[in-house]
Amino acid sequence: MAQSVKYLITMGELKRKDNSLIFRNEKGHRYLPIEGVKEIYCLNEVSLNTKLLDFLAKAQVTMHFFNYYHQYSGTFYPKEQLVSGRLLIQQARLFDEHRIIVAKAIVQGIANNIYSVLYHYYSHGAKELKPLIDWLRKNVPGLLSSSDLKINQVLFIEGTIWKRFYQSFKYFLPETFLMNKRVKRPPDNPMNAMISFGNSLLYAKTITQIYHTHLDQKISFLHDPGEGRFSLSLDLCEVFKPIIVYKTIFELVNHRKIQVGRHFDKELNYCLLNRAGKTAFIKAFDSRINETFQHATLKRKVSYQTAIKLDAYKLIKLCVEGQAFKPFDFREKC
Amino acid sequence: MTAKVTGTMVNYYIHCKRQCWLFSNKLNLEDNSEEVRIGRILHQLKEEKAKKKEVAIDNIKIDKLTPEYLVEIKKSDADLEAVKWQTLYYLYILREKGIDRKGKIEIIDKKKENRKIHYTELTDELVFQLKEIISLIQELIERPIPPLPINKSICKKCAYYTYCYI
Repeated sequence: MAQSVKYLITMGELKRKDNSLIFRNEKGHRYLPIEGVKEIYCLNEVSLNTKLLDFLAKAQVTMHFFNYYHQYSGTFYPKEQLVSGRLLIQQARLFDEHRIIVAKAIVQGIANNIYSVLYHYYSHGAKELKPLIDWLRKNVPGLLSSSDLKINQVLFIEGTIWKRFYQSFKYFLPETFLMNKRVKRPPDNPMNAMISFGNSLLYAKTITQIYHTHLDQKISFLHDPGEGRFSLSLDLCEVFKPIIVYKTIFELVNHRKIQVGRHFDKELNYCLLNRAGKTAFIKAFDSRINETFQHATLKRKVSYQTAIKLDAYKLIKLCVEGQAFKPFDFREKC
Repeated sequence: MTAKVTGTMVNYYIHCKRQCWLFSNKLNLEDNSEEVRIGRILHQLKEEKAKKKEVAIDNIKIDKLTPEYLVEIKKSDADLEAVKWQTLYYLYILREKGIDRKGKIEIIDKKKENRKIHYTELTDELVFQLKEIISLIQELIERPIPPLPINKSICKKCAYYTYCYI
């Protein structure tokens, strides 16, 4: 599948022109050939009409919208092409009978991938990370192995992992980028702004990947189904956050590609990436998620974006064939 | 009973029983491979050229019907055996409706065989074998779990490859 993605960062108008797309803004116009496009991100005010939506639906293109605060507003979700009643029933049954097993697998996956990210900094001199990476590797599996855990206890373990992860930033990031705590809606400092933006992009990516499978977006396992969003996407994007969102942020910060003074708009009680900041962030994010690696079991090259879809396949396999679900692990590359 | 089986299912059954199960249970994965895309476009082009639409009878779709032949068009002869049974199945359905034809398979891009056109005809013996295959397909797709992947070189080009081997 062609994986081309279009990001619309400036204000403008997107239209269907014959059998192609055309984007007009104050600078002029640009053709975006539909062939190969799977996703469009509207990160600014974009005008469009139903003729365009019909065209996108035919080409099975999902279109994601973000508001002024970079928050995810919604997705144009073309009618489902892949529908299996049998799988839907099995997915619902899996939730009823084995929700905890899937939720635990996801939390373990988060811990594994955070471990991989932090181990890099540990091996490059951040020795203060030792207690945390030991805890992630040795203690977390133990905490999760307890057989009578309830879902809120699993969520508590997840929360603890993220909290300790945020607290470890001081060992390998410059002081200007540290944050006291994670603040959403709206983010109040540069680090929170980048995390929110990155998470929103990854969430939208995951929606597109799941769209191209038979899974139902509303039945989730770690998150409560019916959080008013496509909660399965929240579930499946979780293990990719450390390796896509956070690695992007750390790269941008440590290589000084994003700087507090130049790439943010600061207001009284919130902080957002400005246009140059968004552009730099998307560029780094996009190249990371499209990077390919040799998949350990498939023995072929796949991108991280495809790896999200493969995680969805793993979930289908659990539903249909009972094969154990183990989300993507950065170290094992599968 | 036989109404549920399609020509594609017969083809897949000969090719790979797991593929047949997944397809029949509507887990028809995205045709995201280049091979499938080429196949689909070639099919469209042929159709436009012939100015003839597919013939749909019950739940089978036939590429082309001439006074003498039923024609099945395929991109490649990668699994000619499966295509033959698919064609025979169409011939059998037609015969049940009182339409007698011979089978003609047109290969657009020959690789294994040195001919582009292959012929086949329905005999009593083949009808007997076909009936057996149909009942085996019905038995297969009712199973709660699909058969395991077959681990063959043909898997690498299959649209289900990533699903089967993940």
